[in-house]
Amino acid sequence: MRAGRHLFSSSLRTSAFRAALIYCLLFTLGVSGLLGAIYLITARVLAREVDNVILIELGALADEYDQDGVPGVVGELNRLHGQWERAGAIYLLVDRSFTKLAGNLELWPFSKLPRAPWLEFEMETQRAGKPVHYPVRARVFTLSDGYLLVGTEISQRRKFQQSFRNATLWGIGSTALLGAMLGFWLSRRLMARVRAVSAECERIVAGDLSRRLPVGGARDEFDALASAVNRVLARLDEQTGVLRATFDSAAHDLRGPLARLRGRLEELQRAAAMDEFVNVNIERALQDIDILQRTLATLLQIAQAESRAPLADSAWVNLGGLAQEIASLYEPAARDQGITLRCETLDAYVTGSRQLLAQLISNLIENALKHAAGGGEIGVSVREAAAGVLLEVMDRGPGIAAQDRERALRPFVRLNSAVTTGSGLGLSLVAAIARLHDAQLTLEDNAPGLRVAVAFRSVEGAQR
Amino acid sequence: MRLLLIEDDQEAARFVLKGLRESGHTVDHAADGREGLFRATEGDYDVIVTDRMLPHLDGLAIVQVLRQQGRSTPVLVLSALGTVDDRVRGLKAGGDDYLTKPFAFAELLARVEALQRRRSGTQTVTALRVADLELDLLGRRVTRGGHVIELTAREFNLLEFLVRRAGQVVTRTMLLEGVWDLQFDPQTNLVEVHISRLRQAVDRDFDKPLIHTVRGAGYVVRE
Repeated sequence: MRAGRHLFSSSLRTSAFRAALIYCLLFTLGVSGLLGAIYLITARVLAREVDNVILIELGALADEYDQDGVPGVVGELNRLHGQWERAGAIYLLVDRSFTKLAGNLELWPFSKLPRAPWLEFEMETQRAGKPVHYPVRARVFTLSDGYLLVGTEISQRRKFQQSFRNATLWGIGSTALLGAMLGFWLSRRLMARVRAVSAECERIVAGDLSRRLPVGGARDEFDALASAVNRVLARLDEQTGVLRATFDSAAHDLRGPLARLRGRLEELQRAAAMDEFVNVNIERALQDIDILQRTLATLLQIAQAESRAPLADSAWVNLGGLAQEIASLYEPAARDQGITLRCETLDAYVTGSRQLLAQLISNLIENALKHAAGGGEIGVSVREAAAGVLLEVMDRGPGIAAQDRERALRPFVRLNSAVTTGSGLGLSLVAAIARLHDAQLTLEDNAPGLRVAVAFRSVEGAQR
Repeated sequence: MRLLLIEDDQEAARFVLKGLRESGHTVDHAADGREGLFRATEGDYDVIVTDRMLPHLDGLAIVQVLRQQGRSTPVLVLSALGTVDDRVRGLKAGGDDYLTKPFAFAELLARVEALQRRRSGTQTVTALRVADLELDLLGRRVTRGGHVIELTAREFNLLEFLVRRAGQVVTRTMLLEGVWDLQFDPQTNLVEVHISRLRQAVDRDFDKPLIHTVRGAGYVVRE
């Protein structure tokens, strides 16, 4: 019931349904107007026809009266009564005291002379022993010594009017109902297509550029749009591929010279073992190569995570246990800096790469250590949250201003100019690994300090 | 030790060959995959070091062919593809160890020697001993000169890893991989801190230190 209401209210919010509804409303109004007009015109034509017949007969009888007086009218009425020329014709001639002189009606139907020119009343007759009522429309003509009533039994006309009105109302009602149903169905259909497209788009945004939007055989505007988007995707996919290949070979080609550089320096180091000055400089050059190498490796790692190629070591990982291990790895280093590293974790499993998740946790702890310089406390926690598993790393450092938080995740962005160590890639890699694991990364205020939260989806969600 | 190096980069091969020979090993060199596979199947080597990307035949393919032939010669795979994922794939393909280029020569040497040792000694032991230091692997107890040394579980693992390779250089990254199962290099000098804590426990109260630093390479436990 609730689902049904939700379905309806969600349909109501689509523009397609609103358009269908408005269209249906206008159409119903048009149909109502048309049918109403037909009804009114038909009713008036029918009424006028009845009135004309009465007026003509009344005129003929009035002429008779002018020529032969009351006996002439009585004679004519008796003649008409015998013939029954007209179905449902009603005649009554009475004198001044409303006593019947002639006609097929027994009693004057009014208490006295009515004022209105046209009269409608119920006539009672006996049929098969039962009283039956007929509606009658009539006109009274005043003679010098009596009154003449000429009328027509109009039950047929009434019935016709009734049927016509019913038919009109049914027509309007079914038009409205049919229109609403059609509108609902149409909007559901459109919505289903839009949903299919947007679901596909979600998957593409999630990183799978090889996917394409569904193109049906209808060749309608949706297919045209989907084809256009697919062309854009194909181009994007191609460019990404080229970029990745370029990046891979650039990284590979950089490693060659770096390896040779390192080789030469190590060779030199072995040869010049006695000279302290040369040795120290060679040592520093080797350290610089280490930094270069690490930056290159991190860049490659980010690129690979962003490309979302399937993981080689995807498995069930106890994130809580892993966080505990990494925290224990960093704990002595933190203690040396005068920082307390507090780790509160529960066993909580996520699907993913143990190595990449370990790297994510270490980068977050390293980041916290860097900014919590000069004492304080770092908290690491893993717990089950409503949506899945939540990993948090909190520090008491300067934190990141709300407007800088998004920027902080970009490569080579260092917000704190006082911190010059590190490649400026740590948080970017965290973001890439989080994205690869379908996890939501948020930077928050720890009041004071920074709280980094990584929300992994529940297992049901991750296995989907 | 008799070694085979399969490497197509002449310059890189020269440094490695020179270094290995200076360290007292006999080294053959193959410059492409096909020659490498031929030599690997014909010769009797203690350890094979192969580049991953080679002309004609991929390094991982060589490993697979060797394993299919039932040869268990330890293989160290060198690669310019340095991501965690590539490493995992390399090890899954049957490589015994994986080293990302560019590497310090000391790292390569330590790993090659570790592979050779691993091959020669795989019997299960319940106790380890270096000089007066004794490790009871079942009770997870450490004594030195009869005195009990209190260690955390992680410190015990670290000491065990070093003592199992007594007399052999163990690098920082080997420790990270072996003790913490981490296949990447954290930026902070974590291993140094852990080693210095271990030293405090194992060496401080004794005249002869057992844990030694090998400059530019790593650590070694020896008398």
